[in-house]
Order: sequence, then C-alpha cells, then structure tokens
Amino acid sequence: MPVEVIMPKVDMDMASGKITVWHVAAGDRVGQGDPLFDIETDKAAMEVEAAASGYLHHRVAEGTDVPIGQPVAWIYAEGEDVGAPPEAAARSAAGTAAEAGPGPASERAAETVPAPEPHAKTRATPLARHLAAKAGLDIGEIAGSGPRGRVQAEDVRGELHQPPPSKGAAPAGFTAENGPLAVSRSIGGAGTPIILLHGFASDAKSWGPLERHLGDHPIIRIELPAHGKSPKLRISGFADLVCEVRRAFDKLDLGSAHLIGHSLGAAVALAIADTRPKTVSSLTLLAPAGLGPDINGAALAGLGNATRPESLGPWLKLMVCNERLISDGYVRAAMSARADAGLRSAQSALADAVFPDGVQAFDLKSALDRIEVPTRIVWGKQDRIIPWQHALRAPGRVSLHLFDNVGHIPQFEIPDEVGKLLRAHL
Amino acid sequence: MSADSREELRELSYAEAIREAMDIALGRDERVILMGEDIGVYGGAFQVTGNLVEKYGTDRVMDTPISELGGAGVAVGAALTGLRPIFEFQFSDFAALAMEQIVNQAAKIRYMLGGAVSVPLVMRFPAGSGTGAAAQHSQSLEAWFGHVPGLKVIQPSTPEDAKGMLLAALEDPDPVMIFEHKILYKMKGHVPEGYYTTPIGKAAIRRPGTDVSIVATSLMVHKALAAAETLAGEGIDVEVIDLRTVRPMDRETILASVRKTGKLICVYEGVKTLGVGAEISAMVAESDAFDFLEAPILRLGGAESPIPYNPELEKAVVPQVPDILEAARNIAKGRV
Repeated sequence: MPVEVIMPKVDMDMASGKITVWHVAAGDRVGQGDPLFDIETDKAAMEVEAAASGYLHHRVAEGTDVPIGQPVAWIYAEGEDVGAPPEAAARSAAGTAAEAGPGPASERAAETVPAPEPHAKTRATPLARHLAAKAGLDIGEIAGSGPRGRVQAEDVRGELHQPPPSKGAAPAGFTAENGPLAVSRSIGGAGTPIILLHGFASDAKSWGPLERHLGDHPIIRIELPAHGKSPKLRISGFADLVCEVRRAFDKLDLGSAHLIGHSLGAAVALAIADTRPKTVSSLTLLAPAGLGPDINGAALAGLGNATRPESLGPWLKLMVCNERLISDGYVRAAMSARADAGLRSAQSALADAVFPDGVQAFDLKSALDRIEVPTRIVWGKQDRIIPWQHALRAPGRVSLHLFDNVGHIPQFEIPDEVGKLLRAHL
Repeated sequence: MSADSREELRELSYAEAIREAMDIALGRDERVILMGEDIGVYGGAFQVTGNLVEKYGTDRVMDTPISELGGAGVAVGAALTGLRPIFEFQFSDFAALAMEQIVNQAAKIRYMLGGAVSVPLVMRFPAGSGTGAAAQHSQSLEAWFGHVPGLKVIQPSTPEDAKGMLLAALEDPDPVMIFEHKILYKMKGHVPEGYYTTPIGKAAIRRPGTDVSIVATSLMVHKALAAAETLAGEGIDVEVIDLRTVRPMDRETILASVRKTGKLICVYEGVKTLGVGAEISAMVAESDAFDFLEAPILRLGGAESPIPYNPELEKAVVPQVPDILEAARNIAKGRV
C-alpha cells in the first residue's frame, strides 16, 4: 500500500496550501526526510519533507491550491505496482463529514490532520543509543534515517566516520555545492555573484524575501555551522566560526563577489572581507554583530531553548518592529525548521562560544576601520537585539542607512527598500 | 559406498522416527510402557505406535479407556511407582480433560514431597492445525504448559529431533510434554540409527544469517526456512532458530543471535497474545541484548480466533510463508 502524502496544516487558520515547487520528479526515488515540496500559505512558506522512502507518483501540479489533509502525491515501495491514484485515506477517514459538502467538510477533515509537532524526545534504536553513548555522542544531535526519523545504528556510525557535509537537496531554484558547509547556488543569473550569510538561529531560506529584489545576479547562500543543512560543528569561538565559513567561501573559488551578511553573519562577512579584500567587491552589513559589547542575551537563549511555537513566538516577535509580520503560521514554520533538538543544542553551544554571558566577545571595529571595499550598514532603529547605535562606530567612508519603525531584520521587514538600496550599489 | 554415507542416506518420517524411539526404549528398558487411546491394535490416531503392540504385547502397549483424566492419572501413578510410561493423547486439545493430573499432580508431586519421589512421565500430544480437524482438534496449546513450573515442554521439528528428544525425555526424572505437529508426521528426514539423545532446553540454529533473527517453533521452523530461501535471493540474510524447547527456554542461543542481527521476529502457531513469542520478546527486552536491537521485535502468531473448519480460513489464521516474507522485508529494510 503506497504512503499518502498530504497537504500538511502548518498554520491554525490555514484551509489550503499551494505547492510552489516539487523537489522530486514524478517516478523518482525519494528518501525519508528528503525535501519533497515547498508550500506557500497566505502567511508562511515552508519546505515539507518526505515521510517515507520510495518512489513518488501521482503528484499534483505545481501551483495547485490543495485543501489541507488532501493527498498531493503517493510514495510507493520498491516494486509496488503503480496503478491509478489510490482513494485518499484522509477522505475516507473523514467519513460522512466529507460527504456533507466541500466547505465545512474540508475544515473538519483538516482538524483530523495533526500539525507536524517537533518531538522533544529523540527516537533512536537501542543499538544506536548504545553506540552513541559508547562514542560520547549526543543521540539528539544525530539525524535519524529510520521510520519516523528514528536514529539507526548506521546513522551513528556515519556520524563517527564522516560528519556528512551538505546533505539533502538544495531549495527550489538552487543547486547544492559540495563543501564543508551547506552552500546553495541559484540557477542562472549574470554578473558578479552575491554571497548571503544569514544570522544566528536562522538559515538560508530566510533570504527569500530579499532575493526577489536583488536583480539578476547569481546568488550563493552559505549556511553557518550548526544552521540549516550545515553540519553541527563544535565552534570554540568567533575566530573558529570565521575559519569554517571562510573555508566554504574559499572553496567557491570566485574571482569576485558581493558579500551580504545579517547580524552574526554580517560579522563573519566583515571578517572575511578583512582577510580576502581582493575577492570581495562590496560589503553589506545588515544589523551587524561585532561592533559593540551589548546584545540581547535573553533572546539568544530563548531562541535556542524554544521547543514549541508558543515559546518561540515571543522571541521572533522581538526580532521585528511590526510584530504582525510574525503570524502563528510563520512561528509554526520556523519551529518546524528548528524541530531537530540536536540543531538547537548545537546553536546554543555556538551562541555560548561567540556571545558568552550574553556579551559580544569579539570586536570588529578595527577590521571595519581597515576595510577599503565599498561598505554599507543597514539597520532598523527599533532593533531590540543589537543596539543600532553600534553603527555610529563605523568610519566615515562606510555609508549608514538607518530605518525608522524597523527592527533587527530589515531584509524581512522592508525587503523592497533594502533591495532597492543594494541594487544601486551592485 | 561407505557405512557413513549409507547412514547419511537413511531417512524416516517424523512418525516413524518416534516409533523407532519408542521401539528402542521398550527394547532396552523394561520399565518403559506405552499408554493411550487406540494405540494398540489400531496403531494410534495418527498411526505413530503402529504395530508395536504385536512386538511387545498388551502389557506394555496398553489401550486406555476413553477418559484422558483417568488415563493420565494411571500414567502419573505408574511413573511415581517406578515405571517409565509414555502416554499418548489423541489430540493435544484433550489435554484440557487431563489438566488436574498434568498441572496439579505430575508437575507438583516432587516439589510437595520434598524431592522424595519424582514423576518420570512422558506425554505425547499431536498438535496444530492444517488437517481440517476444526476448532477442538487443531490448537497449539504449548504456552499453557510452558507456564507451569515442574513441567518440561518440547516441540521437535525434525524426525531426527523427534527421536532424540523423546529418548532424552525418557531419561528425564520429571514430566516432559512433547507437542508433535500433525503436519510433520509425514515429513521425511535423516534419522541416525540406534540410541541417541537430543538435549532438552537447547535451541538449534537451522540456518545461520546476519540480517534478521527468526525464532520459530515446530512447523513454523520449516515455513521460516522456506521464507529465508526466498529472502536470501533478495539479499536478506536470515538466521532461523528452531526453539525446540518451550520450557526451559534456551536464552543464550536467542540472545546471541539478537546481539548479532539486532532484529528479531518470533513465529509460532499458538495464539499470538500471551504466547511463546511474547515470552521470547520480553526475555530479549529484559536482557543486555536489548542494547543491540535495531528495530521493534515482531511477532507472527495465531489469530484471535478458534481454528476455523473452512480450509482457506484455517490457513488464514496461522502465519504462512508470505506473512514471514513481509515481516522480514519490513524489518530488514527499516520500514518498522
């Protein structure tokens, strides 16, 4: 019996979702946990992973709006006969409710489909636990390949022998690069490439809103260690972090690139520009870290500790000025991207290494003073994570763009404004 | 042709192997007697005793009245007072009629008399489904008796073991219950000549393997071996363990196998719930071998149903080769 793939409910108010892109072609093999498709609701966009391994059939077309709980594809086991699409289990389970009419029925059916919940406890086989304990590994930090994401012995052995580099497919329109960190490159584009470095507790997908406003440049997104699909490396301090990201940067072997970083990623971008001045054509620092000691330590800890949408939401809202941008759906999608307890604990360890006791333990003022490439700082004056006044330490040749009624993530709150600003200099 | 290779070629059916064991026992030990309903001139409900009455006479191959309770009571008394009776039931289902003698007397007398006496009684039970004999003549009740301290419960699955374990049972000072699957009676296999014993309480690895452990009993051993052949062609290397003894259970052979494969399937014909596989699963879960499990333990056992008379339904309520194939593929490929 093939496994039904349904439109998941990622938002309390969500009635349907649109499939923006499939990551797996019809008839192709898909592994459990692999990215399967991206959905867009009126409030959030997120990637949905395959719940089973097998061969994908009966996909609905991209761009289709599908009521939640309804099948969007089926995953067949190897050798299983593929005939007509099977009757949807969700429909028959809804029973009489489904026959009562499309309006209320789809809502009722929706209620029978539980939203994907982050699991607090790690599923692992006894042998996997045994091997991890023997090797001193935290089982929660190991990605599971078994049913329901269960960690199998081979996952632990894999972790022991070679920390897997970029695993999983690249997001839509991007291809994955081999390298020490997860790097994805946009397909097509012309001119000098733009490299994007996201901030703490974020990932490459956070650049989506801004990317639409960056013109036709090729875009390369690097994910920080312990973020997104990058390996959960143990980072001892800021220098170590820069070293890892610079290794990924060097491996790209670009003649020149525009560097855009946000927050912690901006600090890393600045450090790379400082040491690779010939490769970096311009530098854009969005609410950068590294220009003063203060940072909201409670928010860093809160982001790292949150295990459910209810505890993550307040911290996400603190990141922006216009809190209405952080919908329930957005929080749920963000939490689902952070469902991996190992990822969260690795990020907390990273925060502890670079921001011990809630203090920015590294100062890039002198690096900024040395910078000769065109550099601009973009900051929201309602930033509640890092005080925007740190920007005032920049030397005169660095341009400052300070926005009112904007918080810590200008590229999310006012992507068009930031994009327009950047395009003028690219 | 050497004597050794002639020995290799000698095959007997399971029923013939039991008869040969009883013949040898009657011949070498005058304390041995056979008792049971229609085991004399008729030769036994499944023709296992055959013509032994002609060779040893009615004093030693004794027809009993149609009363399992009465017959079993006489057999317990005979064992207590120095004989070595082998008591045949027509169907294992009829053990229910003799429960008092088996559970309250045979199993407990040695304990209650402080070891002053013992009950060296061997009971033989034709068991299992597949003969169209319906709900009262087709059960697999070994787990009932596996629950009683003082009894030994064995299920030989090959002619060689049927002979060797019966002779071992006769050497045992305590009551031993032998569950013989009716479908196995006609199965042929190599049986060594002469007297030998096969130890009670020791499982046999019928097929070594590295990917999945299957612990099976009685007829299910052969279904598991058939499934293992198919699975080998699919690259799944199954180890098939023949439990042979339900009580006392051979923990070490099972645990060693689970430590090796990390995956365990129990296959038995008795009702799945509270059955032999439940005990095996719990025993593994309680042991250090737990640390080596890579998947949930699976049990394939009889359905929650009396055995139906309809032959198709009769097949459907007990594990069949396709069921074993499916379970093994699922567990080997990480689907469970």
